[in-house]
Order: sequence, then C-alpha cells, then structure tokens
Amino acid sequence: MSGTSMIARRRSRTLATVSTLFLITWLIVAAFPFLWTVWGSFKVESDFFSRESWLNALFGVYTEMQTGAPFTGDGYYGAWITRDFWRAVVNTAIVTLCVTVISLTIGTLGGYALARSGHRYAFWILIAALVFRAMPHITLVSGYLLPFFELNIWGHLATSIVVLVAINQPFTLWMLHSFFLSIPKDLDESAMVDGCTRFQAFRWVVIPVMWPGVITTGLFSFLLAYNDFAVTAMLLSQDNQTMVPKISSFLGSIQEQGNVMFAVAAVVSATAPLFLLVMFFQRQIVSGLTAGAVKG
Amino acid sequence: MPHKTFLAFILPAVIAMLLFIALPIVSVIVQSLYVEHEQVLEEVENCGPFGCTTEVRVDAEATAALKSADPLGRFNGLGTFFNRSHLAVSEIGVILADNDGLGDIAARIYNLPFYKALLFTLSYTFIVTPLGMILGFLIALSVNSVSQVLKGPVIFFSLLPMIITPLIGSLILFWMINSQGILGSALQALFNDPTLSLKASTPLTWLTLFVYGVWTAAPFSFVVFYAGLQTVPGDTLESAMIDGASRWERVRYVIIPHLGPLATFVALVQLMDNFRVFEPIVGFSAEANATSLSWLVFNDLQGESTQLFGSAAATSLLTIAGVIVLLSPVLVRTWREFSNKA
Amino acid sequence: MAEIRLKNVTKRWGDFVGVQKFDLDIADKEFLVLLGPSGCGKTTTMRMIAGLEDITDGEIWLGDRMVNKLEPKDRDISMVFQSYGLYPNMTVYENIRFPLKVRKVPKDQHDERVMKAAEMVELKDFLDRRPAALSGGQRQRVALARAIVREPTAFLMDEPLSNLDAKLRVSTRAQIKNLHHTLKTTTIYVTHDQIEAMTLADRVVVMNKGVVQQVGTPTDIYDKPANTFVAGFIGSPAMNLVDGELRDGVFEAGKVRVTGLPTTHNGKVTLGFRAEDATIVPEGGELSAPVYSMELLGDASMISFRVGGELVSIKAAKDYRAEIDEQVHAAIPAEICHLFDSKTGARLGA
Ligand SMILES: Nc1ncnc2c1ncn2[C@@H]1O[C@H](COP(=O)(O)OP(=O)(O)OP(=O)(O)O)[C@@H](O)[C@H]1O
Ligand SMILES: [Mg+2]
Repeated sequence: MSGTSMIARRRSRTLATVSTLFLITWLIVAAFPFLWTVWGSFKVESDFFSRESWLNALFGVYTEMQTGAPFTGDGYYGAWITRDFWRAVVNTAIVTLCVTVISLTIGTLGGYALARSGHRYAFWILIAALVFRAMPHITLVSGYLLPFFELNIWGHLATSIVVLVAINQPFTLWMLHSFFLSIPKDLDESAMVDGCTRFQAFRWVVIPVMWPGVITTGLFSFLLAYNDFAVTAMLLSQDNQTMVPKISSFLGSIQEQGNVMFAVAAVVSATAPLFLLVMFFQRQIVSGLTAGAVKG
Repeated sequence: MPHKTFLAFILPAVIAMLLFIALPIVSVIVQSLYVEHEQVLEEVENCGPFGCTTEVRVDAEATAALKSADPLGRFNGLGTFFNRSHLAVSEIGVILADNDGLGDIAARIYNLPFYKALLFTLSYTFIVTPLGMILGFLIALSVNSVSQVLKGPVIFFSLLPMIITPLIGSLILFWMINSQGILGSALQALFNDPTLSLKASTPLTWLTLFVYGVWTAAPFSFVVFYAGLQTVPGDTLESAMIDGASRWERVRYVIIPHLGPLATFVALVQLMDNFRVFEPIVGFSAEANATSLSWLVFNDLQGESTQLFGSAAATSLLTIAGVIVLLSPVLVRTWREFSNKA
Repeated sequence: MAEIRLKNVTKRWGDFVGVQKFDLDIADKEFLVLLGPSGCGKTTTMRMIAGLEDITDGEIWLGDRMVNKLEPKDRDISMVFQSYGLYPNMTVYENIRFPLKVRKVPKDQHDERVMKAAEMVELKDFLDRRPAALSGGQRQRVALARAIVREPTAFLMDEPLSNLDAKLRVSTRAQIKNLHHTLKTTTIYVTHDQIEAMTLADRVVVMNKGVVQQVGTPTDIYDKPANTFVAGFIGSPAMNLVDGELRDGVFEAGKVRVTGLPTTHNGKVTLGFRAEDATIVPEGGELSAPVYSMELLGDASMISFRVGGELVSIKAAKDYRAEIDEQVHAAIPAEICHLFDSKTGARLGA
C-alpha cells in the first residue's frame, strides 16, 4: 500500500518537474524575443547585429565606443524625428480609435438585434458573417483598389477606417451576439413593459449591463485595426501611413542605408502599447477569446 | 422582435458588410475577367550620324489615355485563370505529356507560381494548425497545475506572441535568426557552419515560417483550452479517480472529451487565420523560397505603376474558393442541422 | 375601466400551436389565475397580453382599445417576471422609479410614489442596495413594487413565487392578496401551483396544451371539473378516475360497482371521485379490494388500491391501519361520483 503510493508520488513529482520545465521553456520562447529586441533597440547596429559575438548586444561594446554610453536612443531619435515616425503614430491613433468606436456602435446594435430576434434570417446573417470572417483581407483589398482609384477616395484615412470597420463587423457581431445572449431577455422585456421603446431598453437597461462585453469586444476591434497590414499598406498614401506599413517601408529604404536600428526602434515603439493593453486587460482578452468558444 | 425594429438595429452593420465585403467580392469577380491594356506601341525613326533606324517604343501618353478611358482593361474572359501565373492549364498539359517521372512532374509543377504558393499555403495551414493546438493544449495543462499567484504573469507572457502585430512579430524573430542575430549565430556555432543561414534554403525557410506560425498560434489554443479546463466537471474527474483511472486515463477519458467541442472551434478559427498567411512572408523576406496565395495577390497589387488588377483578382477568387472549401464541412453541417430543425 | 377581452387569441410558431383560440372576458378588478402544467401556454398568453409576443390570430382589447398593434409601452400594464427582471445596475430605489422616469411622470412625484410602493411591500430599509445584495424574497418584492408604482390598468404576474422557499411563498402570497384588495387593479396571475390558484383567484382558467379546459371560480373547478383533465389536475391528491361500463344507472369496473347514479347515459364512461369523499367501511361498500399500499400523512392515512391499471386512493382516519394485501371495503356513494365520457373526457350531466 505504502509502496504503491510512493511510486505514485514519485511519478507525479517527475511529471510536475517535466511540466514546470516545459512551462519555463515556453515562457522563454514566448517572451525572450521581446525582451531581447527591447534591450537591443538601445544599442547601435554593430552591437545588435554583431558579427563578432552576441555578447556585444548584451554589453554594448560598439555602442559605448560610438556614443560614449552603453545605451543610446539614436534609433528612436532617427525613427521618430528624422523619419517622421510620430506622424504614423498619430495616424494609427486616429485609425484605431475611430475603428473601435464605430465598430462598437454599429456592432452592439446589430449584435443585440441578432441575439433577440428569433427569426430565421438572423441565423443566416450570422452564417454569412462567419463566411465573411474567413475571407483573407488582401482578397478584399484587391476588390477595393480599382473602384477606390476611380472614385478618388484612395489614400485617405477615412477610407481605411470605413473598410476596417466593415472587415471587423463579422467578428464583432459574433462576439457581441454571444455576450448579449448571456443577458436575460427578461431585462429588456421588463423595461419595455415599464414604458421603454426597444431602443430605450437597449440604451438604458441592456448596455449598462453589457459594459464588460463591450469593452472586451472593443479590445479586439482595437487589435484588428492596430495589427492590420494588408488594408493599411495598400489603401493609404505615403503621408497617411500608419505604423505597420511605415515600418515595412523602413525596411525597403533604411536597410540599405545601414539604419536598420530605426526599424528596430519603431518596432519596439509599436509593441509597447500592446504590452500595456495585455497588462491591463488580460482578463477581458481571455474572456473574449473564450466567449466565442463557448457560445459560437 | 418585429422585422422593422430588427432591420433598424442591424442595418448599419449589414450595409457595412454588404458594401465592403460582399460588393468587393463582386468587384473581384468582374476584375478577374479583364486584363490590363496592351501597351500602345509607336514606331519612331531615330536619325543619327550613321543613318536612320526605326525603333519601336512604348507610347506612354497613349497608354495612359487608354487606361484612364477604360480602367478595367480589356475583356479577357476566363483567360487569366488559365494562364501561366494561375492555373497554368496548358503548362500542366505539357508537363503531363512530356516528363521524366513523378518527381519531375512535381518539381516542374512546383515551379509554377500559383501551385508553389498553394502548396506552401496548404502546408502552413495544415502543419501549423495542429501543432499550435497541441502546444497550446500542453501549455494549458501545465499552467493549470501551476500555483495561483503565478498564473497571472504566466498568462501575460503567454499572450504576447498572439496579440503582437504579425508583421512586427515576424520582424522580431527575423532579426534574431539573421546570421548576425543572436539565434542565427547560435545556430551557426551549434552546427559549426559559419555559412549556415535560415534564409538560404527552401526547407529551412519553410521551417522558420512554421516555427513562427506555431509561436503565434499556440497562445489562442492555450487560452481557450485553459478556460475549458476550468469547467471540467470536478465530480466526473473525482469519480474517475475513485474508479482507479491513472492521470493519463483521466486526461484521455474525461478532459479530452470535455474539450472536444472547443477543439473544433479552435481548429476552425485557426484554419481560417492560417490560410491567409501573408505578413510573415513579408517580415521574413521569404518570398524567394516561400510564397502564399495572399502574398501573390499583394505582390500583384504592389507594383508601383503597373498594378496587375486582373491577375490579383483571379488569384483572390481562387483563394476565396479555397476558403469556401475549407469552411464547407461547417457550412454543410449547419445546413443539415438547420433543415432538420425546420 | 380595465376589463381585458381576449377574442380567439391564437399563437403559432410554424406548425406548433402555443395557444389555441383563447376566448375570455376578464372583468375590471378581477383576479384571474392561469393554471396548467408546464408548457401549456400560460406564459405565452400573458406575453401576448403584454405585447411581448406577436399574436398570430385574434384580438386583444384593453378597456375599449384594440391593442394588437400597440407596443408594450403603450399598453399601460405592468408585469412581474418569473426571474424578476430587475435592473442590476440600479439601486432598489432606481429600479422602482424607472417606470416613472421613462414614462415622464413629473419629477416631484417620484419620491412620494416610490416610497409609497416600497412601503406597501415593506422594502423601505433596502432602498439604496443593488439587486445583487438582496435575498430572493426581497428581489421579488422589488419587482412587485416596480409593478405597482405606476398604477397601471392591469398587472400581469408570471409565476412570481416560484423561486421562493415554501414559507416565504405563503407570506408573499398573502401580501399579493392584500395588495390586490387595496389597489383593486385587474390582475392576471400565472402559476402551476393549484394552492396559489385556489387561494388567490376570483376565477381560474385551467389550460392544457394551449387549449382552455375550464373557466370558473375555484369552487367550481374543484367541485365540478369540466373534464377528466381538470379532474386529474386539480386537488391533492387528484381525483380518482376509473374506466368502466355504465348501464341503467349502475357503474361497473371489476372491483368497483356503484349503483343509483342519477343518469340515463349508457356505455363506456369514466367514473371520478375524490379520496376524501370516500370512506373505509368494515363490510360491503362499492369497492372491495386488497390494499396496495398505505401512507401516513399525519392528519390522515391514505389507502390505495389497484383497480384496472389505475391506482385508487381513499383517505381514512389518521389512526386507521391496514396491512398490505389485506382485503378492505370502501363506500363510494353515488352522490360523490362524477361521470365523464370515456372518449372525449367531457363531464356528463351537471
Ligand atoms: N419562441 C418560441 N418558439 C417556439 N415555441 C415556443 C416559443 N416560446 C414558447 N414555445 C413553446 O410554447 C409552449 C408554451 O410555452 P409557455 O412558455 O407559454 O409555457 P408555460 O405554460 O409558461 O410553461 P411553464 O409553466 O413551464 O412556464 C411550450 O411548449 C414552448 O416550448
Ligand atoms: Mg412560463
């Protein structure tokens, strides 16, 4: 009796060790690239891309030699000021903010209707949204370009915003729909009996209860707009570029000039907001990812 | 909810989707039937000290005029679909008619741009999806047994590869595996081969992209499976323990069946996302060794002066067809369930 | 002026009939109870009156207005939901005030009316709590207060007591009865608990599978069930029903034989009688059979027999004892018997 439990305990201890080791490995794999790049962004190129030893990147031998200090903000200065990265940051802020707000506004209305209508067409709209959700964005972009050139609306921030809102809708509708389903129907019905129109019930009774769902969905709309490359790279003119296409355009021009550190600095700058986002909204992100899973 | 109210609520969302998702698909269909105008050529006589020569030149002005008069180009029917850059029907015919065995057929078909991209896209989709799910599941199992205080930070770091902008994520990895980057030089040291470069060979490039794919895909599976693990019925688990099930048997007979429906959901989402793989190819500058369907479209559209709308549209349509095929099991099942219910 | 008239109201979803030709006049100030088993269409009927569900066919009149096409908010009725439907983001006070606010009742009346409603349901101490911080019974009373605060033309209550424990149910039931007496507002009350129906109702509507079975006072329903469904549904235990042959006023079914039934009907019938009306007798009697089981209820003993395929129960004095399989006799005089047509289940005679 005690013998078997000893074996069992030993085996479970081995298992625990293996699983801990595995987890540590994963955490390194997941996080190390970011830490390394953040660290390296304060070095000069010959350290970060060192021909001699990777230790140079750690201690900044050439950085010290060239700038007199082990850390340098040259990359950031070059990207933000010399290459006008700040402008892309402003554009990104405008685009993501507008996309999030508009997506949520029309998405909550639509998601609510889909969750409360028992009619068949609601079901078919959801299925159509699922198919739309699967469309690779670049294929849609290839549909936009020519008409947008002809209509003379290519290149503007507003155009990209509208397009991103639309591309975002299928996902937003699905997610909000499943959040609305979790709110009892009795709530809006009592409001309507109490004297509200459908819209007032939605606005005064349902939405106040829905905030967690709305915030979660908003995070994902934000991420979609923020992370997009296909739409913003193809639909924005040079002046209106947001961060991601701007970074990609750095690669073309800067690498040759030997200023790849501009791109590294820009990448780190663009990653920072995402870090903060996960830090503050981890729970909402997790609940959003699972909301779709449980209901959808 | 009455039809009128429903319509009022859903209209903005539906209009947005119709105008910017459904209509573009129509636009793609139309564009795919047209092809760029041929360039207008003119003969110019060049007279120099050694006499006159006639030269054929592109009349840029006339070409531009033609283009602006009729931006769609000229009608080409289904021609674009069958040309060398797409389905390459006649090339395949030639290859099939005259070849040195299967290996030769495969190699030559692989050299056709569309098939090359298709092969990579499918390999990426069907290798990264299961591997990412397995990795995510294992992470979820390990995180589940970690003490409560550590869970927050562990989840935080695990989420990073997923929420990172795909282009930026691939750039970060790309810089590290660069032969002068930390991973690149570590590999060179490991294999004692100073010329080793992950960018140089096709298999290594593919491998790199797959690794990147699993790296970004795993966190999603992890989060969903982790949430699923929280809802595993404790009673069932305990009665399995009393019945004498080992740890592995409990995973096999209680946990995995419980997560089954979640796995279907994750697989569906991941298939859709991986099928449109595109940014990593740009980020890793991998186009010499690996291209995807989305990248082909991007490449056609990117040309500064000569954007190949027709060609991009044809590839887009073939991609959309691929998506539909991918989704068809779900669609068929939904349809069945629905018509059974009605 | 708040009688409610339902004219052949019907609700269908596709082929499924939720409510079939509901036809009823509800008088002003009446307390009407809809009673029936789960899924019989009670909630659906009520939701159609409230305007939350479209009507497939028929008309609903509130006073002299035909309200088929009116929005819920324009019907001036209030409703208490089974799960209360309280607004979780508002305090108790705000919950009760909400109907006044959205109906643009002048602000200076709000406080007074909320206080009055809260007082009626004894909620004054909880006004600044959120619903999440209340017990089930308190939530229930908030829902009641919210319904009465605006003095509507009618109340609809959908199983308002079903989430309460037995004790609370009794006291809240009394409170509702008292409220109705004070406010004198037409009330439609849904329940599947017959005690609630009997104690509260002026009239009871018994429904089954979407069809109205009987409308009448609680006494009517209990004493003169219109058909075998009502007979088998009302009362605890329900009425004993025995299938048999009727010939010249004599009913016969194996171990049961009742004579002197005042009817001219002949043929297959169902005979019904209540357990408490029959008595155990030492000799003779209309029923003679071995005991199938005996249960002690505290105030009585319940003896049951197998007759045909059915169990027949008879109430005996609380100190009566019998062994299982012991042969026992019972008196079922013709006066306590009800007769129903075997085929249609409809009541025969008065
Ligand atoms: N939206 C709907 N679509 C189809 N059938 C429905 C719908 N709503 C209700 N039903 C059906 O109508 C019937 C009556 O439902 P209803 O809710 O009125 O029952 P009920 O008498 O209130 O039952 P309970 O006592 O369980 O509350 C049920 O069989 C139900 O399944
Ligand atoms: Mg009900």
